[in-house]
Amino acid sequence: MARAPRKQSDRNRGLSRRTLLVGGGAAAGLLIAWGVWPRSYAPNLNAGPTETIVNAFLKIDRSGQIIVIVPQTEMGQGVTTVLPQILADELGADWRTVAVQSAPISPLYANDLLARQWLANDWTRMLGDAGDWAIGQYATRSALMLTGGGTSVPMFHDAYRDAGAAARVLLCKAAAARWGVAWESCDIQEGLISDGGQRRMKIGDVIGDAARHVLPPILPYRQGQDGRLSGQDLPRLDTPSKIDGSHNFAADIRLPDMVFASIRQGPIGDAVLAGLDDRAAGGVTGFLKLVKQERWVAAVASNWWAANKALDLADPVFTLRGAPVSSNAIDDTLEAAFAGSSGQRLYAQGELGPVFEGATILASEYQVDAGLHLALEPPCATARVTEEGAEIWMATQAPGQAREAIANALGLPGEAVTLYPLHAGGSFGRAMDWDVGVQAALIARDMGRPVQLQWSRLEDVIQDRPSAPAHARMAAKLGRNGAIEGWLAKVAAPCALTQTWSRVADGALPHAAAQQAADASTRLAVAGMAPPYAIPNWAVDHYPADVGLPLGFMRGNAHMHGTFFTESFIDELAHLANIEAMSFRIQMLGGNPRLAHCLSTAAALGGWQGGIAGSGQGIAAHMLDGAYAAVMVEAGMEGDRLAVGRIVAAVDAGDQVNPDIARQQIEGGLIFGLAYATGASVRYAGGLPTRAILGRMNLPLLADIGEVSVEMIRSTADPAGVTDLVAPLVAPAIANALYSWTGQRIRSLPLVGTP
Amino acid sequence: MTRFTVNDRPVQYRMDPDTPLLWALRDASNLTGTKYGCGTGDCGACTVDIDGEAVRSCQVTIAHAEGRFVTTIEALSPDRGHPLQQAFAADNVSQCGYCIPGMIMAASVLLRRNADPTDEQIDAAITNICRCGIYPRLRGAIKRAGRIMRGEEQIAAAPPPGITPEAAARTVPALGRPGVQPKR
Repeated sequence: MARAPRKQSDRNRGLSRRTLLVGGGAAAGLLIAWGVWPRSYAPNLNAGPTETIVNAFLKIDRSGQIIVIVPQTEMGQGVTTVLPQILADELGADWRTVAVQSAPISPLYANDLLARQWLANDWTRMLGDAGDWAIGQYATRSALMLTGGGTSVPMFHDAYRDAGAAARVLLCKAAAARWGVAWESCDIQEGLISDGGQRRMKIGDVIGDAARHVLPPILPYRQGQDGRLSGQDLPRLDTPSKIDGSHNFAADIRLPDMVFASIRQGPIGDAVLAGLDDRAAGGVTGFLKLVKQERWVAAVASNWWAANKALDLADPVFTLRGAPVSSNAIDDTLEAAFAGSSGQRLYAQGELGPVFEGATILASEYQVDAGLHLALEPPCATARVTEEGAEIWMATQAPGQAREAIANALGLPGEAVTLYPLHAGGSFGRAMDWDVGVQAALIARDMGRPVQLQWSRLEDVIQDRPSAPAHARMAAKLGRNGAIEGWLAKVAAPCALTQTWSRVADGALPHAAAQQAADASTRLAVAGMAPPYAIPNWAVDHYPADVGLPLGFMRGNAHMHGTFFTESFIDELAHLANIEAMSFRIQMLGGNPRLAHCLSTAAALGGWQGGIAGSGQGIAAHMLDGAYAAVMVEAGMEGDRLAVGRIVAAVDAGDQVNPDIARQQIEGGLIFGLAYATGASVRYAGGLPTRAILGRMNLPLLADIGEVSVEMIRSTADPAGVTDLVAPLVAPAIANALYSWTGQRIRSLPLVGTP
Repeated sequence: MTRFTVNDRPVQYRMDPDTPLLWALRDASNLTGTKYGCGTGDCGACTVDIDGEAVRSCQVTIAHAEGRFVTTIEALSPDRGHPLQQAFAADNVSQCGYCIPGMIMAASVLLRRNADPTDEQIDAAITNICRCGIYPRLRGAIKRAGRIMRGEEQIAAAPPPGITPEAAARTVPALGRPGVQPKR
């Protein structure tokens, strides 16, 4: 399939392009930075005796095996396939020879794109490029290796392409020297170097020479479209081990002499261990020991079930300081926040005052409950601690921060802690926190033997760090022709990302992190609420609060609530203006043709009947970091049960490297959004969730899934992240569909209520 | 008594008879393909085959497994060659992979009884929870596996484990045989 050559983006100008690469020398590999700064971060990769470190992203074995180094955490999103695919495409590798290996912790792999999104504030924005640069420096120097927010491909696309290109040039030079021809005439396809004529050489046969050559000042990219891997639906590298049960998650690690632990951490908030029945646990077969800390107690046994049973019998009691969290208090706190002094206008365009003055204002109030992660794998880590240091096996989206926290807890220098990054069984943001790794290390040290700590599902639900609960007051003025003349969104919500950063980077206790963020008005809490529509006067205000429930990183983050508010209210305005809901949106999208195209595509594929009464059809649209999507659903009530018969998504996320993996992520996002719309949340009372059984979270099962269609719109734009894109769209699309089905507007999530 | 057969081998667990089968399989037999997801029988990640039934192994004690035949994902096929494993690979079903062993075990029991199930029969048999959202591909993959079982389709989507470097080099021109490489 012919593909238009992609223009070279300059998004990653500066550090990541320059950090590139030239491996010099032997297997030990010296990295010579390709620019002025950073001058020298040597790659700390290990290499086997037959492997050559080409650069920070690539090792090549003499047998011809291409080993791509990936710093990003695989959580199912396919990143350990997509990033290697970019490199293999540019190198000219045979996909069957490509392997993947996790990156060690190093500044070379800092994700300064996510760092910028997360850490940018009014100060750094005021500084413009200099502020960006400062965050980039901070990210690099602190080795901020982060996975999240769909940033992996936008952040690393150019780095992997450059890494592949550099390797291709070095290999061509090495082969050309042997053949006595000009290296420019050589090329690599399917892992074979050619001299431009009949001669062929295997990559592995000259890789030993390649390191002796130098890169040209300007790195040439592959020309031509023949045999390109980018844009192909290549098989995922993680599939084989995931279909036969051999894939090792944290709980599947087995070490000699290892024992198993379960943990109790008390109710939500500032809870300390007050006491327990030491003797009751002793009768459990296989029980070994209770390990007590200020804020938790773990039981250790020869199998996990015995450890967990021992904890049940020990029946630990905790003292909770401060008011216990409850759903009623959360709602009251959020309502009160609107009257507080910490609210700020964070986005504004035009002048709302004169528009709203004396006019008829349409207003609606919305609310969403905290959304639980409920990844299928509950938090788990395996640890071995000796005099010399510690080894931890865990899945983490912030390995540098996790290692530092573990080292601090053990009183060891960071280098004494080896963190083996594993794939996460879901996560959806949950693995940004590293508590389980610290706990496992402390228990292992106490036991003097390797320990695997597995949180129970109950513990996971109690101690989840869900997405933010939020209340919104939306107001607008409609003009006579149905144009929105003024739009005001006021959102009361704790900032989950600010809290997460305090915990993950600064080691704050969860309740303290929540308190610290109580007065911090931030764009992170209303991300994605700048309307994509052409509205002359609009503003978004954020009212921060501490609701007593520690919150965390989540697939979609603030877009989950923001899009529900925006796309529900737009729909209300369309009906009030008596304009069909899709046309109402499209008339305001003249300046946003990609989003308009998504809307019209979803409507056309879904058989949009205009959202007329009784149709049960609803539509919603959203854009997120260079990706665009619209979702149309058909939904209705069957008795008191919500039934979603069809979901149709149209997505423009640029020129995707592996379109089928992108499609998987869109499908997954739709199902995740469906769960968020109908459940994946609990009520809280007395400092605890009112229920914690997975089967009572209203999570969708196969039988709840009707027809799901995804249309990927062809595009030559740079590939955007897709993990977060469509999940926020499902709840408003269903709410809008239910309005057309029942005439009743549902303004709260979860839509069907939680028992 | 806690004596039964796991993957065609007789075992006796020296554990509390109340221990759920899941934890005997995982922590005593190191058969870690069977996953813990909830402990309440809801998610199905721990599904195994007991005497031809799909059973959530967190809900069965080893005392109740006495004398029965347990098959886990590790023994479903020796080489990822089960039609479901091949169909899951061909249709690019798995994402994080945590639910997959339970899904495949539940579906394998369904297909053994009925190699041509309807959507409704699939929905009734697969009540496992997946949070990544593999559902839109699931019915199609199970039906495809059914076609393979019925001999209507052949696929080779995922390679067997344990290919030797020499065998790989014979198939893939880009690979060399490590044995003939010069020493460093």
